[in-house]
Amino acid sequence: MANNIIEIQGLTKLYDGLTALDDLTLSVEEGAVVGFIGPNGAGKTTTMRILTTLLQPTRGQAWVAGHEVTREPKAVRRVIGYMPDFFGVYEDMKVWEYLDFFGACYDLPPAARTAMIDDLLALVDLGHKKGAFVDSLSRGMKQRLCLARTLTHDPQVLILDEPASGLDPRARIEMRELLRELKQMGKTIFFSSHILSEVADICTSIAILEAGRLVAYGDMEEMKKQLRAHRLIEVRIMGDLEPLQEILLHTEAVGAIMAGVEAELPPDTVRFDFSGDDQALSRLLARMVAGEIPVISFSEETGDLEDVFLHATRGIIN
Amino acid sequence: MADLVEKSPARRPHLLRTLLQNPVTVKELRSRMRGRRAFVVLTVYLLLMSGFITVLYGLYATAAAQPYGPEARQAGKTVFGAVLGIQVLLVIFIGPSFTAGAISGEKERQTYNLLRTTLLSAHALVAGKLISALSYVLLLILAAIPLQSIAFLLGGISLIELVIAALLIFVSAIAFALLGLFFSSLMRSTLAASVTTFAASLLLTLGGPALALVMLPIGSTILSGRTLAPIVEVLLAYGGLSLAATNLPATIVLSEVFLLQEDAIFFFTNTINGYTVLFFSPWFVYLILYTFLSLILYWLTVRRVRRIPKK
Repeated sequence: MANNIIEIQGLTKLYDGLTALDDLTLSVEEGAVVGFIGPNGAGKTTTMRILTTLLQPTRGQAWVAGHEVTREPKAVRRVIGYMPDFFGVYEDMKVWEYLDFFGACYDLPPAARTAMIDDLLALVDLGHKKGAFVDSLSRGMKQRLCLARTLTHDPQVLILDEPASGLDPRARIEMRELLRELKQMGKTIFFSSHILSEVADICTSIAILEAGRLVAYGDMEEMKKQLRAHRLIEVRIMGDLEPLQEILLHTEAVGAIMAGVEAELPPDTVRFDFSGDDQALSRLLARMVAGEIPVISFSEETGDLEDVFLHATRGIIN
Repeated sequence: MADLVEKSPARRPHLLRTLLQNPVTVKELRSRMRGRRAFVVLTVYLLLMSGFITVLYGLYATAAAQPYGPEARQAGKTVFGAVLGIQVLLVIFIGPSFTAGAISGEKERQTYNLLRTTLLSAHALVAGKLISALSYVLLLILAAIPLQSIAFLLGGISLIELVIAALLIFVSAIAFALLGLFFSSLMRSTLAASVTTFAASLLLTLGGPALALVMLPIGSTILSGRTLAPIVEVLLAYGGLSLAATNLPATIVLSEVFLLQEDAIFFFTNTINGYTVLFFSPWFVYLILYTFLSLILYWLTVRRVRRIPKK
């Protein structure tokens, strides 16, 4: 647990017999940016609520910066900054008052709060909105203000629940840039999202949660390497697909074969899983040519986070 | 910034300063006093009260034979009673309406979880909400003092009556505000918290008199023609007084009666079947009961806010 700033062991949460979280175990290193992904209802928010001392687990334990979340909630709150998936608005409150209020809630003395407000508003590019009412801000600005709020006490760990949810593309890019900046500042960021491209852009590790269970967790690059064990090959030919499928069916390294409209592919295309190496792949192409299959293109699909996600959650979804 | 956070617990400011610098109090007062609403409510309240007192005074002035005679003193008492009556309604029904939405409103706005992940203690949150709500209620009460002072001009009111009335109103304001705050911490919606608070306030105000109305005829029928043992008579008298002391209007009326008839501020003695029995004035019992109720409600609310939910 030496360099792990978040440690979760056997975390389970049951709601009236329904398992929201099932024996979750994972650890996050200091300074890491972990993308917590999974479909709605996978248990992401439940995990975050437990880590932020807002919910008691049914079983298991979790530590943040060495503090157990149920036994030392105050110590945990001191080191975390939490941004929920919904931005809570106080009516009749100005932007600076909003940050001043939360600064006071973190016991910051008034003099320190004045400097902190200016610094944070500059960081999230809202300096020009200091005297505006929170209610008058756009959704993107509110999200950035909410992120600034999580930083009022300079926490070590940021726990962000869907920080880019509901934002337009421009606001999403701004939010991503902000997260990158926070990563450079050395913050550990644990954030959930269902926009996979966003996670892939900034995170160092990903954790995939499905039906309350952790189905994959690790370094982003490691996960892609794992995926390479199941290469996805796409072949386009002229004419009938049947002779090609016949060859593929008799090739040991070929796994699932997808073809035609049913697999949402063009009528001249076949896609298949391949577990062999480059030489085996080359031999397969040679057999196709020898069998007089009119190949137009033969290519390997590059694995992205979406593939990692689909591979990890395959089976559970079914 | 982290250093600043860690240094701050070592500072031990004065209790009053701590209460006034409570971030929740500052935020709530800032929001409440911002804009015209608070001042419009205060103006309308004072105008209505002034109108009511003018009508009352006018009625007595036209009927009075001499300017400072018994009628004027009676008018003074009526004016004082009218202002006190309005203040009773204010602390029983209006005060709790401010606090009934204090915590449930945070839940509805989805800001409650934000607050709970800060270093703000449950005590600070509850005290901040209570002080900000009470401040406005006390502002309304204090603003009515010039109107209440008309009663002194007319005579018929002693300083001790004023002090007792002020104490009763102050303790009631705290207790009923805490009642609202307690239900607010218990419920998810402000509507449910407001309805429950109103029902509980109504029960505390009308429950005692309703019970007395039901029990008195039944008791009279059962006890008619019987000679009671002195201890039973004493217990019945104590029971009746205790019941009155749970109810603010009954406490005010009975305390005034005992003050005028027995000249009793704190207690008086009466002879029952040859035994001398000590009776406390209801206002005194009321203050003890409602202070105790306030402490329990405060403790329960803090406990509710502090707990980490299982759902």
